[in-house]
Amino acid sequence: MAEKEFEPKILGFFCNWCTYAGADLAGVSRLQYPPNIRVIRIMCSGTVSPHHVLRAFQKGADGVLIGGCHIGDCHYLRGNYMTIKRMRFLQDLLKFIGLEEGRLHLEWISAAEGPKLAETVRNYTEKVKNLGPSPLKRAALAA
Amino acid sequence: MDKLRDKVRNLLAQGKVAGYIGYIMKDGHPLPHFFTKDRLEEVDRAIVAPGDARYPLDKLLQQAAAAAPDAVFAIQVRGCDERGLNELYKWGQLDPEKVVLVGIACPQDQADYCECPGPWTTVIDSGEKCQPVLRSPRVDRIDSLAEADALQEWTTHFQRCVKCYGCRDICPMCFCKECALEHQDLMSTGAVPPDTIFQLVRAVHMAGRCIDCGLCEENCPADIPLRVLYKKGNLLVKALFDYDTGSPEAGPSPWKFLGADSPLATKPM
Repeated sequence: MAEKEFEPKILGFFCNWCTYAGADLAGVSRLQYPPNIRVIRIMCSGTVSPHHVLRAFQKGADGVLIGGCHIGDCHYLRGNYMTIKRMRFLQDLLKFIGLEEGRLHLEWISAAEGPKLAETVRNYTEKVKNLGPSPLKRAALAA
Repeated sequence: MDKLRDKVRNLLAQGKVAGYIGYIMKDGHPLPHFFTKDRLEEVDRAIVAPGDARYPLDKLLQQAAAAAPDAVFAIQVRGCDERGLNELYKWGQLDPEKVVLVGIACPQDQADYCECPGPWTTVIDSGEKCQPVLRSPRVDRIDSLAEADALQEWTTHFQRCVKCYGCRDICPMCFCKECALEHQDLMSTGAVPPDTIFQLVRAVHMAGRCIDCGLCEENCPADIPLRVLYKKGNLLVKALFDYDTGSPEAGPSPWKFLGADSPLATKPM
């Protein structure tokens, strides 16, 4: 039997005010994107703690995509300033322990950018597919 | 040593401090000790602990300060301990008005072993300044590895973890009442070795807070090179936010500060 193509599991954290609304727009515009992403709606991307991202990798996510408002557009004024600080740090830390760059991705997507959302999810799914299963998942299984 | 003992004796005798947290030579062992005015003769046995007999004195000071909030205490500090105090002041755990430093400059072999960039204190009561180690060869070695090799090495280390929480319990900077490492929703409980992310969660917490005393690594029964991980965390905080951990001039912690403008941009996919 031919081996099935690897279908990555991607966890999305989308902020309620921008990216999730952007996903709504992509939906009503009937834009297609792969079903590999599981979206969790959160009130602000600033509420995503590095704990949640690490927990996602531990539980077998192959990639984590965080969507927030553009800088300056945050519904809570400064929430996404915290997001970028935390996630840039976490991206570099994960790189240091040997996780491929790109397993954790942050993108600013506004409520008006439905096409951008669909394109981001398409490109990101493709990228994670090429990276293959997360090595952290393999390490967790081996333990 | 006499200079240090004289200073401590004067501080205690004149009542400037309620106690001195330092080390004593007891039955041939260097041990942490709380010196008071009532037992002034003990100061004759006060010592500078050798490098392989260090204890988290900052942590003992926090306990003493919590028990007697109005008292002033003197404490023996190395460069790392002083950086730790500076961070603890920032996080509101200690009052700088209520701490008197008795400073130690580390010898060269200690600085080389710790790869310490600042092995002396602002007040030096014992020892001479030595050459700081500005770049950590241990971090550089991991940085030079290929991704798969680095991951292999780290997961091998992490799988030895026996989840004793020794790294957290000895850490002078770990003062939280509730710990993410014990949170059922954030970490699998009741299994050894712990989740692969166990050490990473701690590394996230130590970024911009670890003062690189190295007690975690010395305390670890599984010899996990935790210090390399936390050193890298601090280097990243320096690179991203230009924050010198433990420096009194560095301003508030970058994790606290809600900046009006962010110089950071998202990484391209």
